[in-house]
Amino acid sequence: MTLRLSIPWREARAPVLQGRHGGGGSKAVPAAVAGGSRWSGRTRPREEAGLKRANFGDGPGLPTLLLLPQLLILLFFFFIPSLRALMQSVLLSDPFGTNVQFVWFDNFKTLLASSDYRQSITVTFWFTVAQNVLTLGSALVLAFATDRIVRGRSAYRTIILLPYAIAPAIAGILWAFLFNPAVGPLAQVLQGLGIAWDPNLNPADALILVTLAASWKHICYDYIFLVVGLLAVPVSLMEAAAVDGAGPIRRFVSIALPMLGPTIFFLTVMNFIYGFFETFAIIDAVTKGGPAGATNILVYKVFVDGFVNLDLGSSAAQSVLLMSFALICTLLQFRYFDRKVNYGV
Amino acid sequence: MGRKVAFIAALFGALALVGPAQARVEVQWWHAMSGVLGDRLNELVEKFNKSQDKYTVVAVAKGNYDEVTNGVIAAYRAKRPPEMVQIAERGYMTMLLSGAIVPVQDLVEQKGYKIDFSDFIKPVASFWSYKGRMSAMPFNSSTPIFWYNKDHFQKAGFDKPADTWQELEKQLYTIKSKGISECGTVLPGDFYWSLLENYSAINNQPYGTLANGFDGLGTEFVYNKTKVVSQVARLKKWLDDGVMQIAGQGFSPEQLFTSGRCSTFVNSTASHGNIERNATINWSATFLPHESDINPPLNSTIGGGAIWVMKGHTPERYEAVAAFLDFVAQPETQVWWHGATGYVPATNRAYAVARERGYYKDHPTREIAVLQLSRGTPNENSRGFRFGNFVQTMLAQRQEVEAVFAGQKQPQQAMDDGVKRGNEILRQFEKLNAGKTPETERP
Repeated sequence: MTLRLSIPWREARAPVLQGRHGGGGSKAVPAAVAGGSRWSGRTRPREEAGLKRANFGDGPGLPTLLLLPQLLILLFFFFIPSLRALMQSVLLSDPFGTNVQFVWFDNFKTLLASSDYRQSITVTFWFTVAQNVLTLGSALVLAFATDRIVRGRSAYRTIILLPYAIAPAIAGILWAFLFNPAVGPLAQVLQGLGIAWDPNLNPADALILVTLAASWKHICYDYIFLVVGLLAVPVSLMEAAAVDGAGPIRRFVSIALPMLGPTIFFLTVMNFIYGFFETFAIIDAVTKGGPAGATNILVYKVFVDGFVNLDLGSSAAQSVLLMSFALICTLLQFRYFDRKVNYGV
Repeated sequence: MGRKVAFIAALFGALALVGPAQARVEVQWWHAMSGVLGDRLNELVEKFNKSQDKYTVVAVAKGNYDEVTNGVIAAYRAKRPPEMVQIAERGYMTMLLSGAIVPVQDLVEQKGYKIDFSDFIKPVASFWSYKGRMSAMPFNSSTPIFWYNKDHFQKAGFDKPADTWQELEKQLYTIKSKGISECGTVLPGDFYWSLLENYSAINNQPYGTLANGFDGLGTEFVYNKTKVVSQVARLKKWLDDGVMQIAGQGFSPEQLFTSGRCSTFVNSTASHGNIERNATINWSATFLPHESDINPPLNSTIGGGAIWVMKGHTPERYEAVAAFLDFVAQPETQVWWHGATGYVPATNRAYAVARERGYYKDHPTREIAVLQLSRGTPNENSRGFRFGNFVQTMLAQRQEVEAVFAGQKQPQQAMDDGVKRGNEILRQFEKLNAGKTPETERP
């Protein structure tokens, strides 16, 4: 069993932990097993041993060189743009940049005072939470079902993974069309059931529609992690439970689910980030933020204010705020949930 | 296979042209025309390039109007702007005060071309000029007109749509109640332009103070105190009664009309090309309706785009730009463009030429836009709109109207909120541009 859960920060810690565990360089320690105690940075041994030393020599030269491409990418696509956004957020400027005024935090003040922006925050909150629950819930059910399927399991997996290969904009148009009240077949079904479905008119319907579309697009991502996580559950435990008379659902809920803790935690963080930043194309294709701003999530508002309204200062201030929200959200999750997650299975 | 051969042939053709064309001055024109309109624009540029041997205009499609605007902003900031760019009417103030443009009239006069700017039809000229001087070259000017399904109206016992909103409403309800069509009309995607802004112009309602912004940056919206409120209420009522439908995302309103599902459609005269090609119905078009207590109705205002000239190029290139703008203003070019696209001819002379040739006998609906634009004498309610950040204020207003449609707000409340939000946006524009005079610097 050398299965690793692909959790970036766990993996990053793993080599250090290996060193502490006595540093048998060739001994692969599964990340999930290696955890358990939190690393406290101060007691880090200066001398690296084993595999790491053999490969990287003594000086910082080679590691730095190997890191360079990634650092350059970060520099050009993260640090410089972030800095520019920070600078722009305290400026009032015309789009061509010929007239620029320094306005301190006026852009932020205007934003926080505007009902439009507050609505956008509320919408984003409900959208990401609902999307998270829906995505994880469905992915769990599907992952659970994977084990129960005897014939055509790989076909089943492939089909579930397909939506991930579809571009978000295409997926969005697909959903918009299927649920278009005038021509969409699924909308006709809903109307046939007596539901006055109209996402072009009804804000709640629109929010439901984009949530469904965004979740559908992301279920496969969660699914693949959960399936891999389930594979890591020791068969002996499951068999023992089965011998004790626990049914499949009981086994899943009482044994597999707690052991999936780290994966679920990781996926929750990823789902939030997905909801915050990557759902732009779906919103653009399905509702364009409407009706009446009902699906105008923060990231979409950043785009509209920056690239349609050409209000660069406000748009930059919004992206700074959005980034802070994402950071706070991730930190809070770590603070409150990371402790409750059991890594030491 | 055929396309491939054609492509290779075109490639060789292009290569053959490179030789003798080396001495030609090349200038770029970024535009937002796609589909049929894009093809026509390329034909127009080709006509110009073939008409002389000194200059070459390269037309580059940069996406929709928003994308073109963003493209030119990025290019200007990187100090590599195109020589010419097509910008939509709503971006007028942004461009005028950008400090990044060369006023068109200054340029062509300096280069010695004699374009008669007084011959441009009034709503077009007044929209694109500042203090009587043309800032940008009117290129694709349109105005909304009223499209209808002839068969539906005949079946309901009407000759044609009524002139007033009040009578039209009765007709649409009759059509609906007789089951002739599923919906009387479809909400246009740009309803704020046709059903609120142009509605205000035609019905002599002010949209903002200071002559709709013509007299200064201190303008404020006032459409919450005009007939616009009852117009929004009317649309809401039609929506609730099923007389009007919203096509919504993923589907174009035009299709609901051309497929015969909805009986009428308020849309730009520029959709002639599309409707002629796609409609499976017996269609016609007429003037936009007006309120029964407003008689005579005023002119409508324009939409569409104009060609702006960007700062920062060499005199030789401006020679090429001036030559091209002169070509665009020629009656011959205007008449051809009018016929090829459905946009209005921008000058009176071009319109006269089209008439003399009997063009409107075969294409009566093409004349509606010109007649509607040029009827009467434009007053300060109908001359057009001069609002800064006009895209942003429009989006805020649209959001408020959607709130009415969704039943979240009453029309009066929504328009009050729209005006309030719009005015905040206007104040920001004023703050940024206070004391700034439009570009007068010569190239």
